[in-house]
Amino acid sequence: MIRFENVGMRYGMGPEVLRDINFHLRPGSFHFLTGPSGAGKSSLLKLMYLMSRPSRGLITMFGHNMATTPRRKLPALRRRIGVVFQDFHLLDHLSAIDNVALPLRITGFNDEKVVEHAGELLKWVGLAERLQARPATLSGGEKQRVAIARAVIGRPSLLVADEPTGNVDPAMGSRLMHLFQEMNKLGTTVVIATHDVTLLKDVEASVMALENGRLSFLSRR
Amino acid sequence: MNLFSFDFIKTTFSNIKSNKQLFSLSVATNFIAFTVLGIFFLLFVNLDILFSSWDKHIQLIVYLDDKISNPNKKKIELLFNSNDKIDSIFFVSRDQAWESFRGKFSSKSNFVTSLNFNPLPDSYTLRFASGPDRLKNIRDFSEKIKNENGVESVEYGEKWISRFEQFMIFLRGFILVFGVVLFSGMILIISNTIKLSIYSRKDEIDLMTLLGATHQYIKVPLLLEGILQGVSGSLLALVSVKLIHLYIVFWFQGSLESVFRGLEFQYLTKPIIFSVISTGIIVGVLGSSISANQFLHRHNSE
Ligand SMILES: Nc1ncnc2c1ncn2[C@@H]1O[C@H](COP(=O)(O)OP(=O)(O)O)[C@@H](O)[C@H]1O
Ligand SMILES: [Mg+2]
Repeated sequence: MIRFENVGMRYGMGPEVLRDINFHLRPGSFHFLTGPSGAGKSSLLKLMYLMSRPSRGLITMFGHNMATTPRRKLPALRRRIGVVFQDFHLLDHLSAIDNVALPLRITGFNDEKVVEHAGELLKWVGLAERLQARPATLSGGEKQRVAIARAVIGRPSLLVADEPTGNVDPAMGSRLMHLFQEMNKLGTTVVIATHDVTLLKDVEASVMALENGRLSFLSRR
Repeated sequence: MNLFSFDFIKTTFSNIKSNKQLFSLSVATNFIAFTVLGIFFLLFVNLDILFSSWDKHIQLIVYLDDKISNPNKKKIELLFNSNDKIDSIFFVSRDQAWESFRGKFSSKSNFVTSLNFNPLPDSYTLRFASGPDRLKNIRDFSEKIKNENGVESVEYGEKWISRFEQFMIFLRGFILVFGVVLFSGMILIISNTIKLSIYSRKDEIDLMTLLGATHQYIKVPLLLEGILQGVSGSLLALVSVKLIHLYIVFWFQGSLESVFRGLEFQYLTKPIIFSVISTGIIVGVLGSSISANQFLHRHNSE
């Protein structure tokens, strides 16, 4: 379903930050991506959620060779991917609930069900009281949970999360991990980048490690 | 996708609200450009009306040679009568002409009364049927009759007419060139405003793209924003030209009437109003598309 073959990536004219990346993610699988800060975790995720293009190698997403996929097909592919950005990327002029509803609005859904669904998700991540709050008034952990709710609302085939538990306490951390597992049970492929190895204990998942832009497999499932 | 769905309109207005000053500046600039253009149109419309009113009064006067032979005179009259574009024919003898001339000027000029011979020839005054080809018919017929034996000269204010016609052609060309310059200027202004508007919301647009928004979804509010700038500018300009029109009518109609013989100073014609507004839409669409496309292509080439 998602396949990287000899993928390399660089920013501009800089050095390669990813080298010879090879892996294959089966539909419905669960993966951790670990590695020290600066190892290239975020860069690898950017390739997965179609923000960046590789400088070499072959990426296949949902059966599409990304080197030959025309631009006009990118929006439809991107809608199949839910992303929790490391720095959230919430829109400041929208309330929490409107931020969560955004992916569905973009797709053209715009009825009360969308708002209802967004509200339920926010309640689930413990933000029942903050539905109408602007992102600027939320704490780091609260923003993170809004970002997660937005990433899952479209029932994506692939969920990519960049340090999704970095700003929450351990209890909320395991609650969010539980949400990801629920999504995974419904068939979503999950990839979570984290440098927090304590997360790995509770979840049965394959673990990939990045070090200096090279990938190794700590455990496969 | 519905172009004017509530969502797009809401987005457009919230974009405008967050960039109020920029938007107003662009509307103001477009307004000034359209007003200048509108004033030229106003001038053109009224000169055109004036010209066609003169046109109605134009008659062809055929002056005869004093020594014209009778057969020649018959032949000329036959030419008049056989032309179905001629409505009426008046013969004015040299004596009648002299009488009316003296009647007009004798009180003002001693010179005229002191003349003791009649310098005027016999003449025919021809009125032509009205219609769009009137002037052309007069022109053609005068060319034909001019060279007949016994015709001394023909007259229909030819010099003035062609001078005026040339001026109108010049004015038309001037408005066209000037319009093209303003048109490009307005596109430039709108595209720059939209560009600034895009860059002030770059993060938002980038996010939307990553969430799977299509180019169309991102572009529509930008196009609406550009169209609003162009159309507001043109509508405000039409209002201001109307005010100029009312002002002129209010203060100068009296003196205009005496000069232009009962003509009323007119506002822009419907086709001109229509094309000013369409031009507003067109500059809006072009200006914003240029910037939106530039941005979206940069975005995907990353
Ligand atoms: N936008 C960027 N431009 C240039 N270099 C970057 C950019 N983002 C990341 N890098 C570099 O790429 C390398 C990997 O960074 P990143 O993928 O963010 O690592 P991680 O997420 O594992 O901390 C680092 O050396 C970092 O400096
Ligand atoms: Mg990172």
